[in-house]
Amino acid sequence: MSDTAAPRARHAKHARSSGPPSKPPAGPSRGGRAARGAKPAGLWGDAWQDLRRRPLFIASAVLIGVILLMAVAPGLFTSVDPYDAATCRLGDARQAPSALHWFGTDNQGCDTYARTVYGASNSLLVGLCTTVVTVVAGGLLGLVAGFRGGWPDALLSRVTEVFFAIPSVLGALLILAVFRTGTVWTVTFALAVLAWPMTFRIMRAAVITAKSQDYVVAARALGASNRRIMFRHILPNSIASVIVVATINLGVFIAAEAGLSFLGVGIQSPEISWGLMIADARPRFLEAASPLLFPAAFLSVTVLAFIMLGDAVRDALDPKLR
Amino acid sequence: MRVIKGAKLVAGTALLALTLAACGNATSTGEASGADAVRMKVGEPQKLFYPGDTVESEGAEVMAALFAPLVKYNEDKEVVNHIAASIKTSDNKVWTIKIKEGYTWHNDEPLIAQNYVDAWNYAANQENAQSANYFFGRVQGYADLNPGEGKTPSTKEMSGLKAVDDTTFRVTLSQPFSQFGTMLGYTAFYPLPKAAFGQDGKVTEAYGRQPIGQGLFKMDGPYNKGTDQTIDLTLFDKFRGEKPKFKKLQFKVYTSAETAWNDLQAGSLDVQEQLPPAAISTAKAELGERYIDQADAGIGYIGFPSVATRAYDDIKLRRAISMAIDRKTITETVFSGTRAPADDFLNPLLDGYRPGACSACVYDPDAARKLYTEANGPKTLELGSNMDNGHKEWIEAVANNLRSNLGIDVKVTPFEKFQQILDELDAKKYTGMFRSGWAIDYPSAENYLTPVFSTGAIKDGSNYSGYSNPEFDELLVKGDTAATMGESLKFYQKADDLLLRDLPMIPIFYYRMNAAFSEHVRGVKINLLNQVEWVQVEKVV
Repeated sequence: MSDTAAPRARHAKHARSSGPPSKPPAGPSRGGRAARGAKPAGLWGDAWQDLRRRPLFIASAVLIGVILLMAVAPGLFTSVDPYDAATCRLGDARQAPSALHWFGTDNQGCDTYARTVYGASNSLLVGLCTTVVTVVAGGLLGLVAGFRGGWPDALLSRVTEVFFAIPSVLGALLILAVFRTGTVWTVTFALAVLAWPMTFRIMRAAVITAKSQDYVVAARALGASNRRIMFRHILPNSIASVIVVATINLGVFIAAEAGLSFLGVGIQSPEISWGLMIADARPRFLEAASPLLFPAAFLSVTVLAFIMLGDAVRDALDPKLR
Repeated sequence: MRVIKGAKLVAGTALLALTLAACGNATSTGEASGADAVRMKVGEPQKLFYPGDTVESEGAEVMAALFAPLVKYNEDKEVVNHIAASIKTSDNKVWTIKIKEGYTWHNDEPLIAQNYVDAWNYAANQENAQSANYFFGRVQGYADLNPGEGKTPSTKEMSGLKAVDDTTFRVTLSQPFSQFGTMLGYTAFYPLPKAAFGQDGKVTEAYGRQPIGQGLFKMDGPYNKGTDQTIDLTLFDKFRGEKPKFKKLQFKVYTSAETAWNDLQAGSLDVQEQLPPAAISTAKAELGERYIDQADAGIGYIGFPSVATRAYDDIKLRRAISMAIDRKTITETVFSGTRAPADDFLNPLLDGYRPGACSACVYDPDAARKLYTEANGPKTLELGSNMDNGHKEWIEAVANNLRSNLGIDVKVTPFEKFQQILDELDAKKYTGMFRSGWAIDYPSAENYLTPVFSTGAIKDGSNYSGYSNPEFDELLVKGDTAATMGESLKFYQKADDLLLRDLPMIPIFYYRMNAAFSEHVRGVKINLLNQVEWVQVEKVV
């Protein structure tokens, strides 16, 4: 990290200062002063320094950490394996929370706490995969479109406009109706297909701004190839806003997955998903509220944590907002 | 290919409709026109309204408002003449049916005996591919109309069916059948007017969309299946018998019992015949007098598609699956006690039922697991069901029973509508276990056996499990031809014993009727065939 941070840092400073060409040398020296002789801190280093002190970031990071741990090792949180049907006893359905069943039991007599814990992995998997796909696909296409301009840009921009015209829930419903059974992958596919244009647009705008910066002109004058300029100079300077949006979107995708599963086209039983749990508990909400409230609370907290994280990262990366 | 795509798109829009309804925008189409009507929930009919081609409950519900049957059944399950003035037989073989004079069709054609002869000959003819074809199998001359696939029938009329004069017709059966008079209240035995037939002698599609009946109500316009969300009916003023006291009847098509239940509570639906299980526990307190809970002659099954696959051929395997299902807890917890655990292939509401007859219906997880291992059952089973109308919860419960008691994986396959399972079973495309149910067509023990399990019902009837056992078929014939009802029952019970041994389907529960109606109507009564008695219904303004 430290050796890649240095070159990126220089450009990042350029990008931030819109002053005359004589000014850039001041950047590193200023950074140097701030760090009191230590290695010059770059955009990412600055951001990290800043983030570490933000309570919003710390709170959301802790929450996300716990939920990630739940997704990776649910066995740490509960000894009950909800995927084993033998742990569900229909005769015990709809029990109130107790020492044995912390969150009570659902309509099938399964332990709501264990199911909620195990539900984290599918939700996070969908959120993470969709984010990775949209960042990679949308980011790369945005980079190409913004850098090259001309017909590739025109074509890709029109394509994204077509996607923007599709209402996202309706679009996802239609895509998933084509697959007869929903899985983590089909849901990821449906969400990614509809979400990549947003990343594309943000990337494209950032690239177009970065393209006209002096350090790009300088790099070109020094004979750098297009590829080098794109990946070594422009990409590191335009990725920040994409990462902010991606972090916030991660939470949104988790919520979308729950929504689709709730409607019955997302993840299917016997897989466990928060949306599915909410859907199953809904008809008997008046008789037993806990099988609905707990997964709903976990879902809300997770989405909130990612949105808070995204906010914190944005504040750290975008000094103008400080 | 085109059909499949279409079906998927329909699935998509149905889901969307569901979504919108779930969001509270429950105002359905046809609200304006239906304001003064009595509105009842139905599921989408499987086919258009051809009397001889409607063997499922949703279409039959609509048809029952359009047509008047020859006989009805009173609360003691006895046959009462309705359109028929008399039904006479001396030997259970030759039946003379006289209809009351003065009834007319909705187009003012008089109702004559020939209308019955035409309709029955049409339904019995294999060329017309009517689902209720099988019900005429006992009439003399049926074989001439059904020479088998690829062959053309030599005639268009059954020799055993003759109109004597305008109000009398005679039915000669190939063998005596003591229950024939009981059958005549079923949808398949409705008559057809002259106007129903096109130039080629077939019932026209236009008729199927907007049938001309001779019953209480006539249709306002053609029904476009798949797009129309309502079926609107108007009282037929010239109906000669007792008439309902309201003018307009509207059937609203729903895919979800819960949406319908919300609409009923909100006052935009008046009659719902089966409430979602989750609503039942609160419905009584909420509706009081407007909640109906009565015994019902229906049975819920899980079936094995032995036509499509040999995977379930081992009786031990089917027995193990049956014994692994905890019927008692399911009926108590999922259905809040509004269904009863099944222990026979006959329903307690009708004569012939023997309590505890089904030894495989006793919950015994240990024995089930042992049997399953002996039978070398598959590691994964598939269980398909439509998830609307509140089936999801009990299907999940059954799946969980099988998972934990047999130690196997169970894949629950959701279907958009029940009709979709039936279609895929018909096409032998679906090879998993499936949910099924049977509501009687006429009150006789025989009706639980012949249409659902006899060999003849595989092609034309409702034998979706594909059970075929000559011994069983023979016992049914013996039962049909026995001189008295009591003797018939003995043979039917012997046939029932074979089913209990072979388990082509496994009985899970006996239905109860959990219906509800809104404040806008009064006097809703539901008869033995699960159809509303419209004559007694009143609209309250």
